[in-house]
Amino acid sequence: MSVAWATLRRSWLVTRRAYPWSYFIGTLLLGVFTIGLAYLGLRAVAGGEISAEFRGKAGTGDYLGYIAVGAAAYMFVVHGILWTGKAMIQEQREGTMGALIVAPARRLPYLLGFSAFAFTAVAVEVAVLFGCAALFGVRLAPTGAADAVLAVAGLALAVFGMSAVLSNVMIVAGEAHIAQNSVFHAIALLSGFTFPREYLPEAFRWLGEAVPVTAAMDVIRGVFTGGTGLDPGRLAVAVALGLAYTAAGFLAMPWAERRAMERSY
Amino acid sequence: MRHAAKVMRAEALKQHRQIFGSKLVLFSMLVWPLLKLAETYYTLRPLAATPGIAERWPLAADPERLLAFLATGALGFTFFFSLVQSAWHFSIERQTGTLELLFLSPANRLAVVVANGFAALVQNAWLFACFAVAMFTLLDVVNVAHPAMYAVVFLAMLVPAVAWGAFLNSVLIFSRDAAFLYTLLDDPMWFASGVRLPVFALPGWIRAIGSVLPLTGSLAVVRGALLDGQGIGDLAGELAGLTVLSGVLLLAAVGALRLGEARAQRTGQLRLF
Repeated sequence: MSVAWATLRRSWLVTRRAYPWSYFIGTLLLGVFTIGLAYLGLRAVAGGEISAEFRGKAGTGDYLGYIAVGAAAYMFVVHGILWTGKAMIQEQREGTMGALIVAPARRLPYLLGFSAFAFTAVAVEVAVLFGCAALFGVRLAPTGAADAVLAVAGLALAVFGMSAVLSNVMIVAGEAHIAQNSVFHAIALLSGFTFPREYLPEAFRWLGEAVPVTAAMDVIRGVFTGGTGLDPGRLAVAVALGLAYTAAGFLAMPWAERRAMERSY
Repeated sequence: MRHAAKVMRAEALKQHRQIFGSKLVLFSMLVWPLLKLAETYYTLRPLAATPGIAERWPLAADPERLLAFLATGALGFTFFFSLVQSAWHFSIERQTGTLELLFLSPANRLAVVVANGFAALVQNAWLFACFAVAMFTLLDVVNVAHPAMYAVVFLAMLVPAVAWGAFLNSVLIFSRDAAFLYTLLDDPMWFASGVRLPVFALPGWIRAIGSVLPLTGSLAVVRGALLDGQGIGDLAGELAGLTVLSGVLLLAAVGALRLGEARAQRTGQLRLF
C-alpha cells in the first residue's frame, strides 16, 4: 500500500510541476471535434433526424449523447493506457528501470499507484470534455449512481488489464508509439465507442470480444445511453477479461523486464 | 539545380534510414488510416441513412459513394499530415545536435525544407494512395470528365502539399516546442478542411479557417474531379486558389527561413531544446 501511495504522490508531484499540456489538449481536441462532427452532421446532413437502424442497434435515438459518452469513454481509455501502460517504458527511457527492478517494491502496487493517479487525472479531463459537450446540448442521464460507479469501475479494470499487457510489449520492443496507436485505432473500431458494434461484420464483432474494453463499453452504454441499466452479464465478462489480462500481464512481467534489461546492455 | 538535386537525394536517404528502417512503419502508413476510415464510415452511417438525405446530400444516399467521399478525405489527410509529422521530426535533429550542423553546411535552406517534405510525402503516402486507387476501382465510383483529370488531381494534391510541407518545416525547424504545433494541426486540420464532413455542413467561421488550409482546396478538386465528373473549367476557381496559396506558402517559407536563421545566429538557440 505504501508503494502505491508513494507512486501516486510522486506522479501528482511531477505532473503538477510539468503537466503535459500537449497530451491533454490533443485528446481533448479529439473528443470535442468528435462531438462537433456529430453535432454538425446531425444538423446539416441528417436534418436533425436519426436513422431507424441506429435506434434499433443503439437502443436510443439520442445520437449526440451516444457520441459524447463514447468520446468521453475513449478519452478515459486512451489517457488511462498512456499513463499506466507507459509507466515502465518511461522508467526505461529515463534510465531508472534498473533501480526500480532491484528496489524491494512490488510491481502490482507500483502500477496500482500509477492507475490511481491516471484515473484521478482523467476524471478531471473527462469532466472538462463533458463541460464542452454540454455546450452542444448533451445531458448525462445515468440509470443510477451505483450503476454509474460500477460501470466506470468495470472500464477502469479493463484499462488496467490492457495496460499491464501493453507495458510488457512496450519494454520488450523498446517502442511505444506504434504499439499504443495501433491499440487506440483498433479499439476505436472494435469496441463501439462512436457507433453500435452491430454495424460491424460478424468477424470484427468477435474480434472485439477479445478486448476487455468492449464488454465494459456495453455496460457503460446500458447505464449512460441505453437506459436499460447495469447489465450484470456483460459486467462479469468485462471483469473476467480485465482480471485475465491483468494476470497475464503480471505473469509475463519478470520475463519482459529481463528481456528489456538484456537489450539495454 | 544539380545542387538542389543532391540535397534532395541526401534528405530522402536520411529520412528513409531514420524513419523507414522498420517494417512496423506499415502500421502508420496503411493500417491506422484504414482503421480510421472504417470507424468514420460507421460513425456517419446513421446520419446518411435518414429520410430526405438525397435532397440534402445526394452523394451520401449511396453507401459506396459515401465511403469513397471519406476515402478521398483520408487520402488527402494522409498527404498533408505526413508533412506535419516530417516537420515535427526536425525536433529530433535539435535533440541529437545535428540541427546546428545542418545550418553550418552549404546546403540551400529552401532546398532542404522542400526536399524534407517531398521525401516524407512520397514515402508516407504511396501505400495508402495505392490502396485508395484499388478501392475506388473496386467500388466503381470514379466518374472523370477526361483522363487528363487524373494528372490534375495528382498535381492538386502534390504541389500544395509540398508548399505546405516547406512552410511547416521552415517554422518548426526553429521551434523548441514542435509537439504543441503538431497537436494543434492534427484534429483542427481534419475538422476545418472537410475531411469527414462536406464543407456545406460547417459553419461560416470554420469554413473561413479551412479556406487558408491548402488541404481544403485539394479535397475540393479531388472530389469534384473524381466523384462528380467536373472538368478543368468547373474547377478553375479552386485550382487558381490552390496555385496562389502554394505560392504564398513558399514565399512565407523563404521569409521564415531567413528570419529564423538570422535570429538563431544572434541567440545560438539551435542547440537548445
